[in-house]
Amino acid sequence: MKVTIEQGALLKALEHVQSVVERRNTIPILSNVVLEAQNGALLLTATDLEIEIKESIEAEVGETGATTAPAHMLYDIVNKLPAGSQVNLSKDEAATQLSLNSGSSSFVLQSLPREDFPSLTLGDMPHAFALPAGDLLRLIDKTRFAISNEDTRHYLNGIYLHIVEEDGTSMLRAVATDGHRLAQAQSPQPVGAQDMPAIIVPRKTVNELQKLLKNSSGEVSVQVSETKINFSHENMSLTSKLIDGKFPDYNRVIPSNNDKRLSVDAKAFVQCVDRVSAVSNERSRAVKLSLATDSLTFTVSNPESGSATDELGVGYSAEPLDIGFNARYLLDITGQLDGDMAIFELADSGSPTLIRDEQDADALYVLMPMRV
Amino acid sequence: MILLKSKKNQSGKSMKLEKKIRKLSEGTINRIAAGEVVERPFSVVKELVENAIDADATRIDITLGAGGKSLIIVSDNGHGMTPDDMMLAIERHATSKLPEGDGGDRLFRVSTLGFRGEALPSIGAVAKMTITSRPIENSDTHEAQKNAPISAMQLDITAGKIGDLKPASGTQGTRIEVRDLFFATPARLKFLKSDRAETTAVGDVVRRLAMAYPGVGFSLTSEGRRSFAVTTEPDGSDASRLNRLAAVMGQDFGQNAVPVLAERETEKGHMRLTGFAGLPTFNRASAQMQYLFVNGRPVKDRLLNGAVRGAYQDFLARNRHPAVALFIELDSSEVDVNVHPAKTEVRFRDPGLIRSMIVGALRTALAEAGHRASTTVADTALRSFSVPSYGRGGGEKPSAPPMMNSTQMQDAADSLQGGFAQLSGYEAPPQTHEDQSGEPHISSFGNENISESVDAYPLGLARAQLHETYVLAQTGDGLVIVDQHAAHERLVYERMKEDMAAQGVERQILLLPEVVELESAEADRLMGRSAELAEIGFVLESFGEGAVLVREIPTLFRGADVKQLVQDLTDEIADLGAALAIKEKLEEICSTLACHGSVRSGRRLNGAEMNALLREMEATPHAGQCNHGRPTYVELKLADIEKLFGRR
Repeated sequence: MKVTIEQGALLKALEHVQSVVERRNTIPILSNVVLEAQNGALLLTATDLEIEIKESIEAEVGETGATTAPAHMLYDIVNKLPAGSQVNLSKDEAATQLSLNSGSSSFVLQSLPREDFPSLTLGDMPHAFALPAGDLLRLIDKTRFAISNEDTRHYLNGIYLHIVEEDGTSMLRAVATDGHRLAQAQSPQPVGAQDMPAIIVPRKTVNELQKLLKNSSGEVSVQVSETKINFSHENMSLTSKLIDGKFPDYNRVIPSNNDKRLSVDAKAFVQCVDRVSAVSNERSRAVKLSLATDSLTFTVSNPESGSATDELGVGYSAEPLDIGFNARYLLDITGQLDGDMAIFELADSGSPTLIRDEQDADALYVLMPMRV
Repeated sequence: MILLKSKKNQSGKSMKLEKKIRKLSEGTINRIAAGEVVERPFSVVKELVENAIDADATRIDITLGAGGKSLIIVSDNGHGMTPDDMMLAIERHATSKLPEGDGGDRLFRVSTLGFRGEALPSIGAVAKMTITSRPIENSDTHEAQKNAPISAMQLDITAGKIGDLKPASGTQGTRIEVRDLFFATPARLKFLKSDRAETTAVGDVVRRLAMAYPGVGFSLTSEGRRSFAVTTEPDGSDASRLNRLAAVMGQDFGQNAVPVLAERETEKGHMRLTGFAGLPTFNRASAQMQYLFVNGRPVKDRLLNGAVRGAYQDFLARNRHPAVALFIELDSSEVDVNVHPAKTEVRFRDPGLIRSMIVGALRTALAEAGHRASTTVADTALRSFSVPSYGRGGGEKPSAPPMMNSTQMQDAADSLQGGFAQLSGYEAPPQTHEDQSGEPHISSFGNENISESVDAYPLGLARAQLHETYVLAQTGDGLVIVDQHAAHERLVYERMKEDMAAQGVERQILLLPEVVELESAEADRLMGRSAELAEIGFVLESFGEGAVLVREIPTLFRGADVKQLVQDLTDEIADLGAALAIKEKLEEICSTLACHGSVRSGRRLNGAEMNALLREMEATPHAGQCNHGRPTYVELKLADIEKLFGRR
């Protein structure tokens, strides 16, 4: 194999693929990235056996061939080469090492045979559709903060992606919950997705996808089967296994009859919560919201350090209510709202509260109060 | 000898009348569950030694051959048996210890060690046994023999066959010789363990009994080697009891134990807990050194382990165990000792009360000892000082200066301060230079405290910080080295706990309640405790047969494995009768937070900061050890230091 690539292009591709490679592996070859030179391009592949990322970049191919080399080390080297320089990668058919030359620098890296590298066979992917990268990114961004970190309920460790009918319109909906709060976002159903199964996309996949799609535009094509999902965008492709499990019936926990409606300036609300929780500590994150007609009082009290109160003029006309929340959860949720006004629909101090963006009917959040 | 004796501790004419051996009434016999008394050599020893104790012996000697398989001799200086008694004693269910005629009610108020009347006949049935006994002189009980010379008599029983009574020589008391145990039941013989294992088991039994009876001297000789011996302690006082415990559990325990005392009144009378508890810094990798005695009877009870863990959970890591020896005395109607023929298990009428009494008493004892770290810590520290070999060659002790009087001590203290004052001069060169030199860094501070008396504070006045990790303080009679991180961590942790107790636990309500599947008995048991669990932030609901629903959890548990926790809780409630898991988890989280929130090693402290730390340690309970049972400070007495220099 002989191939020459521009440093910047190689670096960008390596950055994408190496992030899926685990730092420590029991199977040595999983630390490596596959390099394949063919048809005027270099194809890079990395996997952790759950997710596989492929990216191809234009290259000057002197001799076709394929090998694997340590992903993190290769990335580190290329990162330290002068910007814009040309990088030569070469390996003789019989050799066990990969040579990397650029200007006066030269490296020899231990490689492992391409044939030993496991591949995530795609198999039959019966459902395929495309949607704008921005839409997909939005579904991810609005919900991924609520993904659970507990390993015990593995079916909560991802985003639940499925098709729903709402008011006669078919929507692609993403839901995530960690058992304390729930986030839901949706966008119009892309053509071809109508029969897609309801799937749970693992957290790591969601995070990788978010990194890959950040700041990009254009369409993302998605292929789905019962056990795998594949996203392709420009010259990149990400394939992931899905979480095998049944997502709980989340609709049951979304309250529909909460009669106390609070509308509040989202930015001011975030600032107030953030300000008063300055006196809370790691152990105690509770902030108490006291609602009265058109006024909202925030209280945090921490016997160790003191207490804080703040007040905000709001729209509220129901009977007075005191309710406690975890300040971090409140900030997580209200931080997702893009519009100016946040709508809270409350029932009582022990029942779930619904939080929405006034301008965005396609995202909603449910938060369980704390007993304070 | 046992069978003879009536209730211990009760003398007086009326009781003496009961000393006659007689058959138990049919009703009583039926109430005594049938059971095998003799299982292994140690059970023989146990029965015989208990008999000797019940016979008011003050000296009991035990001899073993081949781990007790070929020979067991137990001889005592108790009040012995008359020939008539001896003949009766070897009949099953003959005992002097249960009075007659009350339909067996007494069985539920047993106050002697033995009562079944099974021991001698059982042993006699499976071995070659020789009983030699000489009754106490001037016994007015046995009018008939009053004028006859009192001499020892001997009786042989071989595999249940009773021989003739023969005169023999012997001093007052009873000597029972058991040869070829189980020769009559070869199947049982095959299941015995190695000689060594049997000897160990016997040793364990003797040690436990020795702990309970300081007033009795014990010796155990195995294969001609004396493996255990304790002398008679003047009975009664705490000191003699501690002496005996130290003799059995090791001198270290003696030095590191605090007395435990609690008393409760119940409807059935008085309940009293005494004993000794090891300091948390004196801990072990196993729970073996935890002994419980109920009315003088050594028992094994899971209740004890649970209660001890509950009491020490603040001070010890989960895998370390304290040493304790606790003695409960209660009305015999409060406890059923007739659970098991070997009587190693008991059942309390109100285990919850016993548990809370143990936990409460241990906590109180530890709180009072909050500032004592175990002496083993200082000893280890001292031992690790290497003494230079020169100057000791002649074997002659250097002439020791007379003990310093207090003026001299103050002088010494002053000169010590002078020394540090000079060291602070050393600090003057630029620090970068100093750091490069690799010299130990000593920061000290001026003489602003010189007028203050070091005697005023138990932990003394801070004199210097060593390696930016240890605070060196001078006390009235020695010096104290404080691990600043461990000490501060403990202080922060204690404060957090106080807050939590005052404020209650914050609870997060779950949006998706967690369902935990259990066996239905487990679920019921767990739900029985739901009120107690709710108090610490864990709200459970029953969810059909064999499942519970977790509704609310403490906020601090975010990310914790709730299912696992519930499972642990259930196991604990079953095993220990207590729900420690949640509190342990909460405290584990708190101690992690405390660790992050406290002064680290490597942080330079000035004099005021160091003294503030010392003063706060004095004011805080349990400041003597960190959350894992390690000491937060070590105290070296001046006397110890003098020893190091051969001055004493």
